[in-house]
Amino acid sequence: MSVRFQRRIANLLCRALQSILPPQLRDWGLAIRYEVAEIPEDTQALSFALASVCTLAPRAIGLLLIQPFVALPGAAVRASRAGANRGSGTLHSPRAVGALCAVGAVGMGLVYMTLAGAPVGYLIINAGALVIGLALLFPVSRGLGAGGRLPGVLILGLSLLLLATALLGLRVEGAARWVNLGGVIVQPSLVLLPLMLVGFSRTRTPLATVGIVVAALAMALQPDRAMAAMMTLALAAVAVTRADRPTCLAFTASLLAFGVTLLRPDALPAVPFVDRILFSSFGVHALAGLAVLAGSVMLVVPAIIGRSRDGDDRATCFAFGAAWLAATLAAAFGNHPTPVVGFGGSAILGYALSLSLLPRPVESRVGSATAPPDEPLASRDIHSRIALA
Amino acid sequence: MPRARALSNHARTVLAALLDAGAGWSHGYELCRLAGVKSGTLYPLLIRLEAQGHLEAEWQQPAEGGRPPRHAYRLTKTGVQLARDNPPDSKVAARRGLREVPT
Repeated sequence: MSVRFQRRIANLLCRALQSILPPQLRDWGLAIRYEVAEIPEDTQALSFALASVCTLAPRAIGLLLIQPFVALPGAAVRASRAGANRGSGTLHSPRAVGALCAVGAVGMGLVYMTLAGAPVGYLIINAGALVIGLALLFPVSRGLGAGGRLPGVLILGLSLLLLATALLGLRVEGAARWVNLGGVIVQPSLVLLPLMLVGFSRTRTPLATVGIVVAALAMALQPDRAMAAMMTLALAAVAVTRADRPTCLAFTASLLAFGVTLLRPDALPAVPFVDRILFSSFGVHALAGLAVLAGSVMLVVPAIIGRSRDGDDRATCFAFGAAWLAATLAAAFGNHPTPVVGFGGSAILGYALSLSLLPRPVESRVGSATAPPDEPLASRDIHSRIALA
Repeated sequence: MPRARALSNHARTVLAALLDAGAGWSHGYELCRLAGVKSGTLYPLLIRLEAQGHLEAEWQQPAEGGRPPRHAYRLTKTGVQLARDNPPDSKVAARRGLREVPT
């Protein structure tokens, strides 16, 4: 290899590295490139460039893959703050942010499952559930978001479906929480309960309250600790925001149901790609772990966006956030489905449907600054931490 | 609370080289030679130290025209403390020609 050729290769490698590094780290790529130019011996310069590229390029590529999803919550929060400062804002809409988060979290789940070697069919099911869930968002919003008695009737009707599932559903190891819909196994509680809880935070009529009590009974009958915990935490969030009699009654029922589920045995074994993946995903690959973690964080971003809201909107956002936080924590500590990022369409459908009752968008505009490739930037940011963790 | 990660011996030798430089600025290639590490080891470490506030970096204009600027590094106060708290293994330090840092 000629000396001139080695120098050219070294320079080319450095430029390639610089171009794939995220903007916040690009000045380091530039530093390496200029440092290589200062090395008098061409072979040493090539060796210096090669060693740098071999170490930093895989991290840079990983960051490129994960960056859109990692940036999403941050962008949403920044947009929310900007919107709050001027009294409105595009992504000041928890519903719009939630739809983005759903897409991001499902995407993160696909990254995890791909790295973990899940069957392609699993990926298709999750992606399909997302499409169906987002398509249902508007019609469900019209039905449950309507005024009058309809939302209460719907919540009661859905709770009866949950009760029927607990009594007549597919039974595994003493738990009966699934139904077979034409060959597709669905967990109705994961699909319907978040929607009912978010709906109840807006519609605390007697019918809706009865519906929540019936749902609590259904959770205790199965038993399902994760869903009972979801009910309890979501209703506690509503009670903190609006401590009225229906909320206290529903919260008490859910607390009792949760207590019962804790006393009853839950012998379901962990299912690959479904249960206990929050921590185990890091054993698969660091990127898989980060994907699961980022996707799980995204699930509660709409609640963060909605914290500046008032009245029922605030209670709704808190109920939503508490419900999905509880589901995620339950999955972290027990053999329960890891919502949205793990395999399973029920949670994805449930997440998308529960978005339908979040406050609507007002307007939207998100700015993101990217640095020119050769401009030095401070690298003390989330990207550095992720890249170098 | 963030978990403190034990420093590798490569990291300790790089810190020692930076500590030896005192208030003076060091460059990447020079650090590689002094600490006996590859650039693939050095730069992730420098990036991390800078992100943690243990290292300051600046662009220095070349003394002679036609040359590119260079990125230069030196320890901050916390970096100096980190280097003092984490001296390199004495055998490695001797092999690299670094003096052992008193603690």
